[in-house]
Amino acid sequence: MPDWEAKIRERLAPLGLDPSREADIVEELAQHLDDCYERSLTEGAKPGEAYLAALAELDRGDLADLKPRNHRGAIIMAPPSAFSSRTARLSRLLIDLGQDLRFALRGLRKQPGFTLLAILALSLGIGSATVGFGVVENLFFDPYPYKGADRMVTFTIRDLKGPAGPGRSWFALNEFLDYQQGNRVFDDMVGSYHIPVVYSGRGGAETFLGAFVTPNTFDFFGVPPLLGRGITKDDGKPGAPPVFVMNYRVWRERFGSDPKILNTVFTLNDRPTTLVGIMPPRFQAFGCRIWIPITLDSGPTGGPGVLTPRPLWVLGRMKPGVNLASVAAEMNVLSKQVAKSYSKMYPAEFVVRVYTLNDFVLGDMKRMLYALVATVMMLLLIACGNVANLLLARATARDREIAVRASIGATPGRLVRQLMAESFVLAAAGLIAGCGLAYFGLKLVVATIPQGPFPAEAVIGLNPVVLSLSLGVAFLVTFLCGLAPALHAVRGELPSRLASGRGANVGLSHGRFRGAVVASQIALSLVLMTGAGLMVRTFLALRHVDLGFDPARIGFAEINAGKAIDHNLDRQKVFFQQLLERVQAIPGVTAAGETSSIPALLAGPYAPIDVPGITHSERWGAMLEFCSEDYFRTLGLQLQHGRTLTRADIDSAAQVAVINRTLAIKYFGKADPVGKRMQVVDFDKIPGQTQASPYFEIIGVVADFKNFEVRLPSEPEVFVPYTLSTAGFRNIVVRSSVKPESLDSEIRRAIWAVDSNVAVGASGSVENWLDRTSFSPPHFGTIFLGTFAAVGLALAGIGVFSVMAYTVSLQTHEVGIRMALGAQRGDVLRMVLWNGVRLIVAGVIVGVLSSYGLTRFLANQLWGISATDSWAFGAAVVVMLVAGTAACILPARKATQVDPLIAIRCE
Amino acid sequence: METKYNNPEWKKGSAELLVLSLLEDQARHGYDISRLIESRSAGALRFHVASLYPLLYRLEERRWIQGRWVEKPKQRRRRFYSLTPEGRKVLTQQRESWQAFVEAIRQVTGIEHA
Repeated sequence: MPDWEAKIRERLAPLGLDPSREADIVEELAQHLDDCYERSLTEGAKPGEAYLAALAELDRGDLADLKPRNHRGAIIMAPPSAFSSRTARLSRLLIDLGQDLRFALRGLRKQPGFTLLAILALSLGIGSATVGFGVVENLFFDPYPYKGADRMVTFTIRDLKGPAGPGRSWFALNEFLDYQQGNRVFDDMVGSYHIPVVYSGRGGAETFLGAFVTPNTFDFFGVPPLLGRGITKDDGKPGAPPVFVMNYRVWRERFGSDPKILNTVFTLNDRPTTLVGIMPPRFQAFGCRIWIPITLDSGPTGGPGVLTPRPLWVLGRMKPGVNLASVAAEMNVLSKQVAKSYSKMYPAEFVVRVYTLNDFVLGDMKRMLYALVATVMMLLLIACGNVANLLLARATARDREIAVRASIGATPGRLVRQLMAESFVLAAAGLIAGCGLAYFGLKLVVATIPQGPFPAEAVIGLNPVVLSLSLGVAFLVTFLCGLAPALHAVRGELPSRLASGRGANVGLSHGRFRGAVVASQIALSLVLMTGAGLMVRTFLALRHVDLGFDPARIGFAEINAGKAIDHNLDRQKVFFQQLLERVQAIPGVTAAGETSSIPALLAGPYAPIDVPGITHSERWGAMLEFCSEDYFRTLGLQLQHGRTLTRADIDSAAQVAVINRTLAIKYFGKADPVGKRMQVVDFDKIPGQTQASPYFEIIGVVADFKNFEVRLPSEPEVFVPYTLSTAGFRNIVVRSSVKPESLDSEIRRAIWAVDSNVAVGASGSVENWLDRTSFSPPHFGTIFLGTFAAVGLALAGIGVFSVMAYTVSLQTHEVGIRMALGAQRGDVLRMVLWNGVRLIVAGVIVGVLSSYGLTRFLANQLWGISATDSWAFGAAVVVMLVAGTAACILPARKATQVDPLIAIRCE
Repeated sequence: METKYNNPEWKKGSAELLVLSLLEDQARHGYDISRLIESRSAGALRFHVASLYPLLYRLEERRWIQGRWVEKPKQRRRRFYSLTPEGRKVLTQQRESWQAFVEAIRQVTGIEHA
């Protein structure tokens, strides 16, 4: 006798009957089928026929009616049995969920094309969201490994009548000590400054960027060292033996992670200094390679507690419960007292501005991160729109199946759960694939993210917080994608849906919803493309900005001479004259000069200036450039009037100055500055000076070049012979007929040939450094917005295509009738295209309006164009229209190939 | 036109009437009921498993019939259904209204054919 029980149980499973009742029914029905089977056999049927005949008994009728009902017809819940009712309900629910998931998996497996498309869309959406979370979580919420990092703040003195910007963020040591001792809002405060430190090793001199820190710094940050110890308060006491702590990267890359170097003595800035500790990888305080304690008797102006050679950048940790407003209030009061002791350093009217550490470090990049979050959320919505539309189309196509399921007893809740299970399975697959994408996406972010404006301590990657956010997104996606089809499934009259053919009537009623989803996708995608277009335009504008010189042909090398020159003017002159001769002799070098700034990268010192005979109320100032005679020829600066510096001027350290055009126009107006005298105020007070006179004769005017920052106009600049002073940092610049990077090692050899104790700092071509600095944020913006915009465009294209293809499949009958009535293929093509183009145009209009509202949030990342740049908007609109229309063409062509006879018959 | 017979339930009602009628004299199991309906209607009426048992259970829930498992020697136990007193009352009412319905149909169709 065949085993009927399995067949019966299979059919009863969706009804969710009480187990004991189900067993009774199975037994009774199985007996009935046995009887049917035997009867068929006795009537002469073959066993196979008898089997099929008996089995057919199960499928003719409404097994759903087996579900127990009360007298009003409502379904009765299974009564509590051996289990407590809650346990039974829970186990029932789990069994049902298991069934739903299995059913969903089976259904999705049957339509691999649909499933893959949906998973692709979701993985792009969830992957993008995960990348966004990864970046934001790591940069915004957990960038620092330090004790109480979220309570760390810095403050600035902002001149209320001065230029815009945060204001003075540097404080003299004593000033710092006054704030440290006078405040009641901070647990503790630390101060630091960083300068390149020359390390004279056996292989030659090299530089490490070093931070000179107040001795409480390592206590303040609270990160235990990897090896040895951190700097302690004793290290800052006068007479304490000099020590330093090294960062992980130098230890690994320069010293091969050798633990034996601990407690060895290094010669740093010609001073024997003991390495006492190595910090773990994430400890990157002040972005430096080594940390050296500020000893109160150090520096040229020495003396206990008097001055460090440089002012300090200050960081405080708020006491628990203290907020930014109370810090600002306290510091504004305290600063008025401190200002009395340092009246020269405080403007007449000022205010103290307080920033959290992260706000100070991120600055304008915060908005870029907000844009990133907004972008990934838009992508996620676009992807959800796609999948919702795909699922809705599928649900509509399966209308009859759903109606049948409803008629055999599936409750609305059960149907919704079933469809939600499908969208959950898709979201789960999207989550897994998306996290995979995000893993690589985050690696791309790490590779392209600009180093400067982001905290170096932050580890950008997947972590439990990011992954749980993504899991949350997957649930959101389940809901967003599954909602429309689920609502569709439980709406409408059952009989009409059972009777309807291919669900075409229901499909049309959902056409508006699908259209709205596609139009929204297009609008969102257009916003992304506009943003990307603006970033591309900014990047291109920056790349094409006229620097006044050719950055690809100009190389530079930072010179850290230290003891080799030791603030001696003669030694400096001899060193640079020998060096420049050697460098000029290197094949490929066409000119070389000495300079105290690096064009477009490193500004020289800013000095107050005056022109005798001209009265003015505002403060005048200019960048002071110590350079050699060939500096102008090296950069290719055009002489506009007078002459440039000569070898004789350099040799004799003449009190002559060349000025740039900006200075000439700003301070002399239409008057001819050549031959006039100007004063560089306090020039005689600059350290390392032999010529005491602050007065210079102006001998020439040169064309402007970007002497400060690529995005900013040229600053007024005064060029004087470098032989007048040893102050400031010194560099050489070269003009080359080959790539400047290729000359790097030759230049280093030339430097060490003159003096092996001289360390070379950064070097390379100006162009490369611009790529890594000024161009890096817009480059990052271009890459991330561009990538996401491309993904958005692809998703919107898929959205348009799938909806149009589906609509065309629903319109087959209509198209057939039209063609039978004489419509030409061209008419059909136009009709279908028009339907698609209408959606696209609606989406584009909404998208353009939204972009006008949204791109201003990008405004501070833009340069050289407005936030409503018509080229960026126009390009985005054109790309969207073209891509959208292209996505309609295939479905439209399919519509034209409809055979009227077949189309009409198919209904 | 609205009449008292314009009831969508009448089809269902006729199936109930058939089952109740067959149980009037004696208790029967499901297969027996379906065989009797088929044979007495000379094959014109057939109840499949998927329609019959939901109906039986529904009648049982309404307490018009009562099912119980009966074990006989050397046979599998079977579930036998018998009429309850309430079921008997319902059967009488349904018979009357069915006869009235059939009569109404006959009269209407008779006039139309006249």
